[in-house]
Amino acid sequence: MATRSIVILVIIAAIALAVPPFLPRSVVDLLVFSCIYSIAGLGVGLLLGQCGIANLGQSVFYALGAYATAYMTVTLGVGAAWGFLTGVILSGLIALVIGWPVLRLTGHFLALATLALGIVANALFYEWDWLTHGSLGFGGIPKLNIFGLVIDTPLRFYYLAGAVLALCLLASANLIGSRTGLMLRAMRDAPEAAKSLGINAQWLRTRIFILSAIFGSIAGSLFAHYGSFVNVQSFGIEKAIAFLIIPVLGGATSLPGVVIGALFTTLVPEMLTRFGDLHQVLFGLTLMATVVLMPSGLMGGLASLSRYMTARGRA
Amino acid sequence: MSAPLLSLENVGHAFGGFTVLREVALDVPKGEIVGLIGPNGSGKTTLFNIISGYVRHRSGRIVYDGVEMRNQTIQQRSYAGMVRTFQTPMVFEKMTVLENVMVGCNKITSSGMVEGLLSLPRARKEAKAMREQAEMYCEKFSLSSVAHQLAHNLSAGQRRILEIARAVVGKPNLLLLDEPSSGLNPDEIDELDRSIRALNDAGLTILLVSHDMDLMSVARRVHVLYFGRIIASGSMEEIQANPEVREAYFGS
Amino acid sequence: MLLGLVSQSLLSGVTNGLIYALVGFGIAAIFRGAHIANVMQGEFSVVGAVVVDVLLVQIGMPYWAAAIIGCLSGAALGALIDVVFIRRLVAQKAPDDSYLLFTIGVSITISAAVLFLFGREGHLLPPIGSGQIFIVLDAVVQEHALWLIGISVILMFALRYFYRRTTLGMRMSAAAIDPDGAATIGIDVRAMRTLTFVLGGVLGAIAGILITPIIPVSYMVGLPLTLKGFSAAILGGLTNPLGAVAGGLVIGVLEALVVMQMSSAYKDVVTFSGLILIMIFMPRGLLGRAGRAGG
Repeated sequence: MATRSIVILVIIAAIALAVPPFLPRSVVDLLVFSCIYSIAGLGVGLLLGQCGIANLGQSVFYALGAYATAYMTVTLGVGAAWGFLTGVILSGLIALVIGWPVLRLTGHFLALATLALGIVANALFYEWDWLTHGSLGFGGIPKLNIFGLVIDTPLRFYYLAGAVLALCLLASANLIGSRTGLMLRAMRDAPEAAKSLGINAQWLRTRIFILSAIFGSIAGSLFAHYGSFVNVQSFGIEKAIAFLIIPVLGGATSLPGVVIGALFTTLVPEMLTRFGDLHQVLFGLTLMATVVLMPSGLMGGLASLSRYMTARGRA
Repeated sequence: MSAPLLSLENVGHAFGGFTVLREVALDVPKGEIVGLIGPNGSGKTTLFNIISGYVRHRSGRIVYDGVEMRNQTIQQRSYAGMVRTFQTPMVFEKMTVLENVMVGCNKITSSGMVEGLLSLPRARKEAKAMREQAEMYCEKFSLSSVAHQLAHNLSAGQRRILEIARAVVGKPNLLLLDEPSSGLNPDEIDELDRSIRALNDAGLTILLVSHDMDLMSVARRVHVLYFGRIIASGSMEEIQANPEVREAYFGS
Repeated sequence: MLLGLVSQSLLSGVTNGLIYALVGFGIAAIFRGAHIANVMQGEFSVVGAVVVDVLLVQIGMPYWAAAIIGCLSGAALGALIDVVFIRRLVAQKAPDDSYLLFTIGVSITISAAVLFLFGREGHLLPPIGSGQIFIVLDAVVQEHALWLIGISVILMFALRYFYRRTTLGMRMSAAAIDPDGAATIGIDVRAMRTLTFVLGGVLGAIAGILITPIIPVSYMVGLPLTLKGFSAAILGGLTNPLGAVAGGLVIGVLEALVVMQMSSAYKDVVTFSGLILIMIFMPRGLLGRAGRAGG
C-alpha cells in the first residue's frame, strides 16, 4: 500500500481509538450502530461492488443473527458464542439453498427476488411468534462477556464492534485483492468472457452471497447483544433498503465508503432530530442532494475534494 | 501423422426452423493455423459458439484432443485448453489491463475464497505469481505502457490484443479467433498478423474466422463456409481460384 | 354459496391485480423510456390521490376537475424530478446505482412530507360513478371496480399502441435503448426522458386516483404500492404494459386464492415465494420472448 494511504489509515485508527471516550454517551451509541450497520452493509457492498448484484435481502440474515442469539442465550440459556455460531450457520445454509437457484437471475429480477425473500422472511418472523415473540419482542438477551470483562457500556461495545468491523474490513480487502476478487470483478464486467476463461459464475456468486449473509448475521447478533431486546419491527423492508443505501451512498466499490455510508445513515438522522417533525423530510432531501452532488458516492466526493485541494496547494 | 487437435464431423445445427449449419467437416491439425471464411450469416460465429460450448449442436461430432465434446460446459472446455475471442472484444471494462490479463491466469492457479479472505500463504503466493505472469505477457504483447489503465480507455486494436493476451496467458492448446480484425485500422491489423504468427510459431494451434483476405494469409489451410456448408477447402491460392467460391463471393 | 365465495375472491384478486398493474404501468414506462428503476413510483400515486382529496374536500371542486389537476400534478412532479435532478445525474455520467439511490431518497422525502403535511390518517376518495352495486356470479361488484378494470384495460391497449405505433412512443423507447444512436438520427434524448417522467407521473397519479376509493391513501402507502407494482412489472418483462397486467393479475389472483384457503397472514409469504419460484423457472418473465430478461 502507498505510504500516504498507510499514514491516513493510522491517523483514522488513532482517532477512532482515542476520541470516543471523550464523546457524550449518545454519540458513542450512534457510533456503535454505525459499526454494526457497517458490518451488514459490507456484505451488501461486496455483492454490489464486486459482483454487480443489488441485494435487498440482507435484513433477513441480520434478523437471523439477532434471533439466533436471542433464542440461544435466552430460550436455551447457552453461551453467546452459540448464538453467533447458530446465526452464522443458519444464514450460510439459507444463503446457499436460496442463493444457488436465485443467483442465476440477473439485474432487476435478482434484486426483486432478494426483496421477495426479505418480505417472505419478515412475514414469517411475524407469524412464527412462538419462536420469535413477534412484535412483542424478545428481551433479556445477556450482555457479552469477553474473558471476564462485561461489555455493558456503549463505549466498551463500541470498541468490540469496531474491532469486529476492522476484522471484516481486513478480510474484505484481502478478498478483493485475491484471485477470487479478480474472478468476481471479471464476472461482473463481462460474464460471457469470464466463462470462456474457465470462471464458474453461479458457484462464485453463491459463495459471495453466503459470505454476505454471514456478515449480516454477525451484525445481527451484535445488535441483539447491544440492545438486549429484538422485535420484528427492526427487520423490515426499511432495514433492507438502509443496508443497500449504505454501500451505494459510500461508493459501491469502496470499503471505506461502506463505513462512511453507515456513519451517514446513523449520524445524519440524529443531527436532524432538532428539526422535529420535519426531520425525515430533511433526511430524504439530504440523501437526494448527496447523490446529485456526489454521484460516485461519498468516497468519490472525498476523492474529488482531495484532488481539488492538492491542486490548489500546488497553485 | 498424429490426430488433429480439433475435428468436426458432419456437424449440423438449426434453430427457429432455420438450418444454420449442415454437414460441416473440418480438421484443425496440431500446431497449425486453419482459417474459416464466408459471407455474413454463413454460420461462422455459430460454429465457434458450438465448438466453445456456448451452443449445443444438433447433429454430428466434435472431437477435441481425442475427447468428444457433447455436454461439456464452457468452463470445462476452457480448462481442457480451448480459449476463444469474441467478435466485439469483451474486455473487463472497469479493470486495468494488467488485471484483465491476470484473470486469464485463473486456470493455472487454484486458491479459493476462504484462502483469499484470510490471506493465507498460498493465496498470496498465487496472487504474486499471477501478477508476474501477467506482467510478462503484457510485455510480450506491447501492452506494458498501458498496463495500469482501465481497459475501458483502450482503442479497438489494443482491446483486441488485450483479449488475445488474456486468452493465451493461461497456456491454452487451441485458440479460436472470431473476426479478430473487425474494427481495427491497417496498422493494428499488421500488429495482429504478427502476434498470430508469433503465437503459432511458439506452438499454439489456431482456428481463425475472418473476412479479411490479407489476414487469412497466415492460415495454412482455409475452409469456405457458405450458408452453413463448406463449399471449398485448400490453400488461399486454391480457394481464390475455385469457381464455386468466386460464384458465391463475387457472383461471377 | 361457494360460487359466491370463489367469485368474490377472484373479483378481489383481479381488482387488486389490476391495481398492481396500474402502478406497474408507470414503472414500465419509466424503465422503458429512461432505463431507471423508479422506487418512488408509488409516491406519484400518493401525491395524485392526496391532491385530489385536498381539492375535493378543502376546496370543493367538482370531481373531474380535481382528477385532471391530480393527473397534472403527477405530470408536473415527474417533470420537476427529471429537469432538476435526473438531468444533472446524466450529465455527470452517474453510475446506475446512483439513480436507484436517488429515487429511494425521493420516495423517503415525499412520504415524509405527506406525513408532515397531512398526518397519519388514511383518506378515501369517493368512487367513480354513482356507487351502484351489481351482483355478478354471486359476487358483490362495486361500480368503481368496473371502472377500474375498464380503465386499466384501456390504458394497457393505449400504452401498447403508443409504444409500438406512434412516432413519439418509438422515439422514447429508442432514446433509452441507445441514446447515442438515437441522438444521431435526430431524437432529442433529453426531451424524451423528461416526457418519460411526465408519463410516469401521470400514470402514477391515475393509478392513485383509481386505487384510493378502495385502499385509503396515507403517507405509508407509497412503498408497498411500489413493491407490488415492481413485482407485476418485472414478472411481465419490465417494459411491457401487457406484461404488467399479466404479472399483476397473477399476483392478485394468487393472493386472493391464498386468503381464501389459508389465513391472510400467510398471504405475503405464499405470494412472494410464488414470485421467486416463477422467476426461477421462467427467467424471461411471464411473456417469454416478448419480455426483457430482467435488464
